[in-house]
Amino acid sequence: MSASEFDLLRTVTLGQYLPTGSALHRADPRVKIASGILLVVAVTATSSLAGLTLAFALVIAGFAVARIPIAYALSGIKPMLPFLALLGIFQAIAIPQNDANTTVYWRWAFITLTARDAVAVALLFAKFSVLVWGISLLSFTTSTTALTHGTEHLLRPLQRIGLPAHEFALMVNIALRFVPLLAQETERLMKAQASRGADFGAGRRLNFVQRFRKLLPLLIPLILATLQRAEDLILAMEARCYTGGKGRTHLVRFRAQASDYAILALVLIVLAATVAAGFTSADATVWRIVSTVWR
Amino acid sequence: MEPLIRVDNIRYTYPAGTGKPALTDVSLSIGAGEYVAIVGANGSGKSTLARHLNALLVPDQGDVWVNGWNTRDRAHIRDIRRTVGMVFQVPDNQIVATIVEDDVAFGPENLGIPEDELPARVREALAAVGLEEHGHRASHLLSAGQKQRLAIAAALAMRPLCLVLDEATAMLDPAGKADLLRIVRRLHRSGTTIVAVTHSMSEALEADRVIVLAEGRIVMDGTPAQVFADAESLERYGLDVPPAARLAHLLAAHWPDFPRHLLDAEALADAVCRHLSLGAHVRTTHPLAATDTGGQPVLPPDASGQAPYIALEDVHYTYLAGTPLETRALRGVSMDIRPGETIAIIGPTGSGKSTLLQHLNGLLRPHAGRARVLGVDLTDPRADVRALRRRVGLVFQQPEAQLFERYAGDDVAFGPLAFGSSLEQARERVRRAMEAVGLPFETYKDRLTLTLSGGERRRLALAGVLALEPQVLVLDEPTAGLDPRGRNDLLALLRRWRDADRAIVFSSHNMDDVALLADRVYIIAEGRIAHAAPVREAFSAPESLVGFGLGLPTAMTFAQALARRGCPIPTDLLTLEELAHAIVRLADERIRV
Repeated sequence: MSASEFDLLRTVTLGQYLPTGSALHRADPRVKIASGILLVVAVTATSSLAGLTLAFALVIAGFAVARIPIAYALSGIKPMLPFLALLGIFQAIAIPQNDANTTVYWRWAFITLTARDAVAVALLFAKFSVLVWGISLLSFTTSTTALTHGTEHLLRPLQRIGLPAHEFALMVNIALRFVPLLAQETERLMKAQASRGADFGAGRRLNFVQRFRKLLPLLIPLILATLQRAEDLILAMEARCYTGGKGRTHLVRFRAQASDYAILALVLIVLAATVAAGFTSADATVWRIVSTVWR
Repeated sequence: MEPLIRVDNIRYTYPAGTGKPALTDVSLSIGAGEYVAIVGANGSGKSTLARHLNALLVPDQGDVWVNGWNTRDRAHIRDIRRTVGMVFQVPDNQIVATIVEDDVAFGPENLGIPEDELPARVREALAAVGLEEHGHRASHLLSAGQKQRLAIAAALAMRPLCLVLDEATAMLDPAGKADLLRIVRRLHRSGTTIVAVTHSMSEALEADRVIVLAEGRIVMDGTPAQVFADAESLERYGLDVPPAARLAHLLAAHWPDFPRHLLDAEALADAVCRHLSLGAHVRTTHPLAATDTGGQPVLPPDASGQAPYIALEDVHYTYLAGTPLETRALRGVSMDIRPGETIAIIGPTGSGKSTLLQHLNGLLRPHAGRARVLGVDLTDPRADVRALRRRVGLVFQQPEAQLFERYAGDDVAFGPLAFGSSLEQARERVRRAMEAVGLPFETYKDRLTLTLSGGERRRLALAGVLALEPQVLVLDEPTAGLDPRGRNDLLALLRRWRDADRAIVFSSHNMDDVALLADRVYIIAEGRIAHAAPVREAFSAPESLVGFGLGLPTAMTFAQALARRGCPIPTDLLTLEELAHAIVRLADERIRV
């Protein structure tokens, strides 16, 4: 089915939420956010394929518990592939992993590809993929509101040292609310101006000034409308007695259940193992198995 | 007793404005439990006044007292704002949170209401507006009407004594409007003071008291009956009388003793029946002139001999096909539009009207079915849709929001220049288009677009499309949000524009617009054409319309009220002028018999 030339703005699915009503969906968002942060830290810190395999297994288990089709979840990496490929090439060429006792696969001018390069690229791919899948697990199972509430509650202790946790959470919440509206508005403006003969397609080569002039029929009404929205929202918030985070109470309160502590404990153990694997000979064992299978 | 709100001789000028005061010497008191409507044309200062009632604005001179607190006193700002809750015009711009419940809780949270009490407050407020089932839903997935109800709930959660509605119904369809007015009526009965800012005269009738603003001053203040008796003044202020009063005035022109101060359909029908039975002796003072019904098409609606400009056959369109968010907007729409015709497309919000209109100039192309517009086959991927867009002008909802040039004339010139007119040609086209919308070229071309009034900006945006000199003009909700004068001007100019070689297609929630302008009507529901008929026929089967939440033209509502009283009045009358004519003729026939 042909997509309309103006439909591009609606196909953004970043941070999609898939409410399947699983146990993981009901879990305390603070635990899920903390787990996400721990995953990022652990995956970044480790340099072990065995460790990453553990982290990967954790994320896959998460998809299973959350009742999200695994093939669908894993396909989320697809749009990142060109970027990953670029990163891989960069890693292989620009950061040479040369030393005497590694096999050289290929050599051309100053470029050499060695077994170590291959390992480094594989690590990079693995790290990046686990990160993307881990974060999408968080977004599949946690609504944006739960995310912002959770973040606010997690940051609240920092409020005492002057960090504006409430303001930050409110800002994120409002931004999340208005992004789809702005996308709709842009689409409507593009259509309206196209109806008057504006041509946003590529066409001739244009210099910067020409290109900018072409966007004016879009930018000016969009900026005016956004300012108007902002002004309206400020009035609406003021009319409802908003004066900042001080003295506010909260409708949503979180009380962690035993299951939440269990999730957190499991995540901590697996991710500790992920990091620890880098300091053991686990990888050597993995490689031995891989090369045996290869032969 | 001290009134709930006392406005004492205030004056206010916007700091970044033209320097002209928005409010001058305004004084009024609003007692607890009153229902007050503040009416005025666009730019009369009514929203500015509303914003003074809960300290969103503080007067330059004079004072506003709310429940004994002066709005200048920053120490009581929370007390004032929790006493006077506010609902604004644009549904999307007043929702803070992504979940309905959280949004309702926002006010009480700000007030520091104990956390144990919050859930009960939220429940109570949602129940008051009939949204108790929707607490956990995402706020952006609500309909416009539900969003406005949410906004009311959000204000109610602070348990205000007074609710100010600033054109809160302006962007709703008839069903959404009726729901909102019903809720407001109920709140008023249970003791809440209501201040409704509006330029809809029928909404002003809901109130016990009407205050008219013009150029920042209070010019009238009284009961609806008192205020609406003075039609001449209201017209001078860019307003109108409610439709029943207009009909009463029309009848009074023939029958000098006919009461002029009737406000609603029932009272009017009673008066007419009384007059017809008792008043047989009152012969009309002068014979009836052929009334100008205004709504008649330039051409007889039967133009079936000619090839249609637009022919849609079983058109389907699906948004986000193949994703979990797939929406089937059109599910088999067929229609023909011929030269000289004016076609109205009506249907509830979300029925597919906008999607359909966007097919007419090739912004969207059918996913299935056939569509030919002015000889261009839209299903052909090589069709030159850009050239088609010049010949089919599409005017979006609130087109004034799409103006972008500093000077009025430049904005109108954008289209002709984009389509390759020379400067000379473009100037000529801009001149003709601006004259056509009643903005004389020499006077208006160098005016700053931002300083024009709402109605003028709407007409300027229309000129921007007319300057393309299209054969077909497509308009999405052309009169929405305009005050009575703006609406009349726009309808008149559309009637002037059409001729035998041109066609107009428009969508509207306002059945009076449809009655005044259209030759034929397509009713669309859930992506399908539910009914297609000439306008008289469409409205003479009112059950189908009401079933779609669409309402009837005012003239038909009155005719039905008369018919219920056994008055043999035809029920396919479209305008108040036609109805008045029919009533007077009926009386004359009785005398002759």
